[in-house]
Amino acid sequence: MIQLSKNYSLPERAEDFIPIKIVSVGGAGLNALDRIVLDGLERAEVVAINTDVQSLASSVAAHKVQLGRTVTRGLGAGGDPELGYQAAVESSEEIRESLADARMIFICAGLGGGTGSGAAPLIAQLAREAGALVLGFVTLPFSFEGRRRNAQAREALDRLDQFANAVVCFENDQMADIVLPKAGIHQAFAAADILISQSVRSIVNVIQRPGLIRIGFDDLLSALRRRNGRCLFGFGESDSDNRAHDALAQALKNPLMDRGRMLSDAARILVHVAGGPGMTLSEVEVLMQELGRHVDEQTQILFGTAVDGRMENRLSVTIISSLTAEADPASDTAVPLQVATPLPPIWEQQPEAQTEVDSVQESIPIPVPPSVPPVEFAPIEHEPRMEEPAPGAPVSSKKPGVHPAGAQSKIGPVKKPNPVEEKSQAKQEILQFEPVTRGRFEKSEPTIVEGEDLDVPTYLRKKFKVK
Amino acid sequence: MASNDLMVGLEIGTSKICVVVGEGRPDGTIKILGVGQAPSRGVRKGEIVDFETARKCVHEAVVDAEQKSDVMIRSVYVAVAGSHLQSFNNRGCIMLPEDRDEIDEQDVEDVKINAREVSIPAQNAFLHSIIQHYHVDGQDGVLSPIGMSGQKLEADFHIIHGVRTRIQNGIRCVKELPLEVEDVVFSALASAQVVLTQNQKDLGALVIDVGGGTTDYVLYADGAIRQSGSLAVGGDHITNDISMGLRIPMARAEKLKIEEGSCILGNCLPGEMILLKDDSGFAGKEIERETLNTVIHMRMREAFELLKRRLEEHPYLSYVGGGIFITGGCSLLNGIDHLAEEIFELPARVVHAHNTSGLTSAVENPQFSTAIGLIKYAQAVQTGRRPRGFGRIIGRFKFFGGTR
Repeated sequence: MIQLSKNYSLPERAEDFIPIKIVSVGGAGLNALDRIVLDGLERAEVVAINTDVQSLASSVAAHKVQLGRTVTRGLGAGGDPELGYQAAVESSEEIRESLADARMIFICAGLGGGTGSGAAPLIAQLAREAGALVLGFVTLPFSFEGRRRNAQAREALDRLDQFANAVVCFENDQMADIVLPKAGIHQAFAAADILISQSVRSIVNVIQRPGLIRIGFDDLLSALRRRNGRCLFGFGESDSDNRAHDALAQALKNPLMDRGRMLSDAARILVHVAGGPGMTLSEVEVLMQELGRHVDEQTQILFGTAVDGRMENRLSVTIISSLTAEADPASDTAVPLQVATPLPPIWEQQPEAQTEVDSVQESIPIPVPPSVPPVEFAPIEHEPRMEEPAPGAPVSSKKPGVHPAGAQSKIGPVKKPNPVEEKSQAKQEILQFEPVTRGRFEKSEPTIVEGEDLDVPTYLRKKFKVK
Repeated sequence: MASNDLMVGLEIGTSKICVVVGEGRPDGTIKILGVGQAPSRGVRKGEIVDFETARKCVHEAVVDAEQKSDVMIRSVYVAVAGSHLQSFNNRGCIMLPEDRDEIDEQDVEDVKINAREVSIPAQNAFLHSIIQHYHVDGQDGVLSPIGMSGQKLEADFHIIHGVRTRIQNGIRCVKELPLEVEDVVFSALASAQVVLTQNQKDLGALVIDVGGGTTDYVLYADGAIRQSGSLAVGGDHITNDISMGLRIPMARAEKLKIEEGSCILGNCLPGEMILLKDDSGFAGKEIERETLNTVIHMRMREAFELLKRRLEEHPYLSYVGGGIFITGGCSLLNGIDHLAEEIFELPARVVHAHNTSGLTSAVENPQFSTAIGLIKYAQAVQTGRRPRGFGRIIGRFKFFGGTR
């Protein structure tokens, strides 16, 4: 337990969180970003990027970048991806500046239009060059928007796929299922925004929350990475007596989940359970058992859990997975290839990134022999994945980070261990002491000024002891 | 109506709703005819959260005011507060056509519209555009440019805006009674109309209206409003802190705050205890006075410090020569002026409406500053003197006038 004491000795709050930036591109992206910000997002910065000055002006984002001052002169890109690309090229210096200092960049864009389709791939490229891990959240147009627009979107998606570490793709056609047929069209679009917002926020939480069993970026990538894949996503939260069941039921109700039916086809599922200090092992057990009924025996479950004092008596479940376009359950064997192929570029371009993956491994012996990191963008990696052969995949055996990625990264130069992982234990202790009581303001909109929740009594925040 | 116009101010506060009926005198003073009030429910931090309950409370207060003043209330001026309100200063500029060099009323209107051509969030609406100064061909500090010669007219405006739907909630609540809404006014702006004299505005003054749910402020320098805003912290927070810190019910905490509370530290004997009596009058819990005061002090200190930091984003605080004027229900808290003096390093005092006649008991209570201020504001609008670009409400709140 020498290591444990070392963990406790590292409480530097400034480095508690991985710097994350959420970048939205184009009109649809900005709408989604506004929703994300309005829903409340901590621990991540937001950047709005667009050609259209008007929509930029109305965005709530703190940091804004106008694309193509001379190319589009403050107007939109008019549905022309080439123009969007040109505009982004012109402003690439500004984009680079706005992306600086982030370890992880989420790009939200609506594909099919000009700015989103044209600029998003370039921004993803710049983000990778800046040394960040890139995750795309994109919407595909409604099929009634025409074949041309759909083709543009597909092309942009392909290009984005080349640069991003993973792309979560929402098809607007699916949104039609969420909203009632009678609902207005704006509600359909709003539903898409809400869904993107929910998934971005829950992924940020999954990554940023200190974990008892931690989910790392590698787990996330392996759950999401499917070429042209369809994203399965579910999020549920409950504080009822039967909160484990209720939260799971809510998560499975998510339209991108299809009541859990789709789950049986997924080869790999990431499940993250977060709760307050009162979360019990039996609750988690019940939840995972229930989830087990929805998934195939062969399915590998990447399980993570975290205790967060701010959750109070709520319990939340996040389920993330993806299917190949054909939802081919037999694609199990192909999975390692698909997962592996996009990863190498990270290690090539970004030695920083590997430390993150690496530090997860440090305390866990890895039974996989190290191999040479693949250099080509080709399915080279055929090593037996540690999780792959495990039949039935019992939940408890899924330690986060037990993953060939870590093994490979061992050979890379270890620059500095990521403090976040190292002291996740210690940080939890700190979080639990944070005041969470707001008395009569419990149910009202919080008043956050300069990072402090003013509804919490001042004496509690200033740690004054009342006799 | 008669030459003495009846005017009614309605403030939907977090702790109480008050309705003040007054009449304007030709000499510019106002006379208070009656005050109606009702405890407020369904309002948090200056904004309505339970519409139906709030509506009932407003109705109660209006009926109370009608009985006491013996008039029939048809239309009211409504005060708004809430943390969604924001403000900034902006300069508008227009050039007169070549063939004309006398500035007329239309030009003044135009420059005002020009000054508003700034982007505010889509869901926001302008609440006030208040003229600070005009500049004619580079000449600064022009107060009324109409009739002057010039080619270029510029105007500095202080613009207050807020989330449209949240402002509308208050209006809708009144309209359902049904009463007409003449105008909506930022509450601290209304208060400033009656607690400050023109002289004090010229000297520079900071008005802090500490209410139940919000602390609203306006800063005047050189006779014009420079900064304004609303912080969603008020007396309710103090009560909540006391209730949680001393583990006593809210109602008891509220009573304790009013009767015993102070935001001055070190003013009591060591170990001095306050005996809480229970409902039947028997001795109950004992509470150390110092603890109670510390809880209050920390909350108020934090609120004032936040306010100070916010004001220091602009240089105007150093131009305040007239001092700080604290009003609103929570200004009755013992020692609040001393605390403000300590933090802002400016002379501070608790003030109430002046230049009014009639019900002195109402006038002399800082709780009613806002509602009385609404009447003063209404008077300025209704007498038609329109000193500095007033406008009346047009349609459903697209356009609002202001006062200085």
